[in-house]
Amino acid sequence: MAPSGTVADPPQCSTTDSFNSSDTAENDIRPFFVLHKASSGNHNGKLTGIVKSKRRIESPSPKIAKRSEVESVEEEDGQFFSTLRFKVFETVWSKIEKTIEDVLRNSNSKVFSGIHDWIRESFESIISSGALKLSEAVRSYPVLTQASSKQLLTAMVLTRNLEMVDDLLTFEELELHLKSQGCHVAKLSSMDFSAKSGVGGCLRGLLRQFVMPTVDVADVTILASWYRENKNHENPVVIIVDDTERCCGPVLSDLILILSEWAIKVPIFLIMGVSTAHDAPRKILSVNALQRLCATRFTLSSPAERMDAVLKAVFLKPCSGFTVSHKVALFMRSYFLCQDGTLTSFVRTLKIACLQHFSLEPLSIMLEHFCHDGVNQLSGEGTELLTEATMKHAFDLPSVTRNKITRSTFEMLPHFLLDLQRMPNPWSIVVLCLYEAGKFDKLRLLDIFCEILDPEARYLKYFSPSEIVNSQSHNSGRNNVIRRVLRKLRDLSPSQLSSMLKSWENLTAEFTEINDKVIELHPFMRAVEAAGQRQGLPNSPKKHASRSNSKLEKELKAMTDKVATVIEFMLREYMKPVESVPFHEILCFKNVDKLQSALLGDPRGRIQLDLLESHDILHCVCCSQRGTTLLPSMHDTSILYKLAQEHADVINLHDWYQSFKTILIPRSSKAKQKSKSSSKSKKRKEICEEPEAPAEALIQYPFLVKISNR
Amino acid sequence: MEDIENIEEDEYGFSRNYFLAKELGGASKRSAHKLSDIHIVDEQELRETASTIEMKHSKEISELMSDYKTMYSKWVFELRCGFGLLMYGFGSKKALVEDFASASLTDYSVVVINGYLPSVNLKQSSGSLSKGQETFPSRSMDDILSFLHGPQSGDKDCFICVVVHNIDGPALRDPESQQTLARLSSCSHIRLVASIDHVNAPLLWDKKMVHKQFNWLWHHVPTFAPYNVEGVFFPLVLAQGSTAQTAKTAAIVLQSLTPNGQNVFKILAEYQLSHPDEDGMPTDDLYSASRERFFVSSQVTLNSHLTEFKDHELVKTKRNSDGQECLNIPLTSDAIRQLLLDLNQ
Repeated sequence: MAPSGTVADPPQCSTTDSFNSSDTAENDIRPFFVLHKASSGNHNGKLTGIVKSKRRIESPSPKIAKRSEVESVEEEDGQFFSTLRFKVFETVWSKIEKTIEDVLRNSNSKVFSGIHDWIRESFESIISSGALKLSEAVRSYPVLTQASSKQLLTAMVLTRNLEMVDDLLTFEELELHLKSQGCHVAKLSSMDFSAKSGVGGCLRGLLRQFVMPTVDVADVTILASWYRENKNHENPVVIIVDDTERCCGPVLSDLILILSEWAIKVPIFLIMGVSTAHDAPRKILSVNALQRLCATRFTLSSPAERMDAVLKAVFLKPCSGFTVSHKVALFMRSYFLCQDGTLTSFVRTLKIACLQHFSLEPLSIMLEHFCHDGVNQLSGEGTELLTEATMKHAFDLPSVTRNKITRSTFEMLPHFLLDLQRMPNPWSIVVLCLYEAGKFDKLRLLDIFCEILDPEARYLKYFSPSEIVNSQSHNSGRNNVIRRVLRKLRDLSPSQLSSMLKSWENLTAEFTEINDKVIELHPFMRAVEAAGQRQGLPNSPKKHASRSNSKLEKELKAMTDKVATVIEFMLREYMKPVESVPFHEILCFKNVDKLQSALLGDPRGRIQLDLLESHDILHCVCCSQRGTTLLPSMHDTSILYKLAQEHADVINLHDWYQSFKTILIPRSSKAKQKSKSSSKSKKRKEICEEPEAPAEALIQYPFLVKISNR
Repeated sequence: MEDIENIEEDEYGFSRNYFLAKELGGASKRSAHKLSDIHIVDEQELRETASTIEMKHSKEISELMSDYKTMYSKWVFELRCGFGLLMYGFGSKKALVEDFASASLTDYSVVVINGYLPSVNLKQSSGSLSKGQETFPSRSMDDILSFLHGPQSGDKDCFICVVVHNIDGPALRDPESQQTLARLSSCSHIRLVASIDHVNAPLLWDKKMVHKQFNWLWHHVPTFAPYNVEGVFFPLVLAQGSTAQTAKTAAIVLQSLTPNGQNVFKILAEYQLSHPDEDGMPTDDLYSASRERFFVSSQVTLNSHLTEFKDHELVKTKRNSDGQECLNIPLTSDAIRQLLLDLNQ
């Protein structure tokens, strides 16, 4: 409880700048207040801003304009670009988001339709067992006595993912899917199954979703009578509980017992999401409740599979044009593998990267044109946005200066951009081919993607003859994906090789240069198959068998060598890393530090650094002169923290205070300090008899405040 | 010049070696100094003095603040893109966040919640968000949240910005408040700008809250500004004589005890209030009173409670004129009343 005296009379703020004004003091002690309301007509303002600045871009004449006009025009320009940037970000991100949603929906569609079929079939069998009269169906009596009539049909959906956060969307999608098929669906989460509100709470939740949102009683008969109204009984009732393991067991058991009593009158289907194992409910439900469940099992795709599918759709298939650099990809990979492990966090990281890209790179607005399917849009509309300033920026990009592209090639810009737009095509084909080859070694697309983005193309060194010999002899560099692919090639069986070739052929169908090379492999494949068949002849004599065996090995070796050559060809010719292409900065996000700091706050570490290196942040001259020396000019908390550090974790308050005092009032200038402070507060000196008191208070206040706040 | 340096060197050496010397010098490892050796100034005087303390580096701090101003447009962009902003770093961020809101968020309504206050009512605050839009019968938190989440218009760029100073404040640290804030921030027409100061603040949130609801973008913005307003509500640890402060400290200790232990303490406190002139409550009386109300079952249980009280200096024993052992709470009557109020909340 706050001391009432201090609430009524908060100390005055000593900050003198514009950040504090007198009327804020009153607001400081109110629990909440409205700082301001939205200025009226904000959107109109924005719209006129756009119109005005568009006009200006058509006829730029800043030299004639007066200074103030130039400024206002620049402001308008800024407004125009910020609105445009937001618009383009929205376009780009919604495209990526939609792609991801589609991928996830597709990955689950089989399971969803499986669940729906199961519901439909079971529902029909319940209905066919005999229709109830209305009067019977809405009463809890007569009690149904057969054991089978008390069974609650349940689907156990194994998510194979301990992180529920990834599956929230899955169950939302399932709800939508079932609703679209005509089912009555309600979704409950572990929050509804709390011990505090009991089974009444979740019944209320159900009724609110089924009957009407204002129901405030928990009576299952309401559900029964609702079910008999307006043809509701023509469709099954589905209840989805997405995170069963986190629900309060007794409450869920109670709900199951209640619902199972009504199972025939209101055919309810329970869908329970379980993350650990199909039999997880055994651990949380009571025996009675377990006996009432008639469970069917379904299994969703694993997070790693979904991750690969998302990566493929966002970066390797034509999507938004936005991409990330090698370093950013490595960071995202390690964040996914080591820190969070959820697809949701990966998508969020991607969104932050996209956002940072838009706020750091002015030319990112051109990504809008990559989002559209047509290729020719760039030449016309795309360059219209290029003002003098953005052109200058474009030709100052590191990738442009590195490639010695000068302003004389100004007209070439649209061409470069077209190249950029076309670029990921053969590139992604090669990555997907590698992924197909890597599947035999259970390689993840994420790993391949990260390695392949390397701007220095270090993976090419595995093709040097010496490296090939090395790779066979020792086991180093297991993490090198390309090396693993090459090594695995030698262990593949003829049938695996053949299926890999088939998938390569499909992947490269649109790209003749690579496709030709793949087709050239066919004679080798046929030779391998022929050798394999000879070996497989049952009545061939033993002598012949060993000979044909060595023949097969020889053919296989020739084949795998050839495949390795094709891989090398693909990598050398088409694996131009994004970061080596001129103007790639327009669509490639590279600033890994910004991403990391926005994604992962480190309050503990950063506050310690703030205190230890306060002079670096404040850029003050007085404290930074002498390295680690504690100076009286330093921030009080900085001094206290450093003193505490010197004494490890355990510190005697008395000693702490004394040394703090020693630093604030150096022995040599003690007298001076005393006179200074006492002259400042003469009034208090009269009250206080003790001459040292004011100085003591001046030191004690910060000390006490700081240690109290810790 | 050299002299100055020497002096400074000495000072440096002194401060650095102070504790080392203490540690090595004494036979016992613990420092023999006691807090009572410090002359602690009266709290009233301390608070008065606070206003005269000159802020160090005020110039540099205001420069730092104006550096942050250049980032305002970026922050607005991030809010518009659907993220929440989480400010951290040493120093009060209240002024910075409010300045940002009043300078750059003029197109949006801004509501401020002062999370550092010991009593913040989230329901009231959220109710104020839905007000002004249309007449709305605010019933429960669920209704308010579903109203705020409703698809009122297709315009994604129309939102209310909620500023929460110290989202990790003492009154908001319970899971329920954080759940409510998380659900609030996931509403389609709400964006959150919050600040934290506790180093363990991220432990308040689970992955669903972080990734799906708050959707934080972290911003490290040390301001080095004093925690003038935020700190007021923390009692000064060493300052003596303040009723509220000692009651608060005692309340914190008592809250960590079992309900029965608390009830025994309440009996003692009520007795002391009703018998202000006595030396304290005789132990036997306390035992029979506690037993009557089923708070203890045996003398042993009572003794274990009493040991706990004595360890935390909530209770002292005295012998009265009859030679009976009496238990006394070393607090003023006002402090005890305050404490009982806190406990009954």
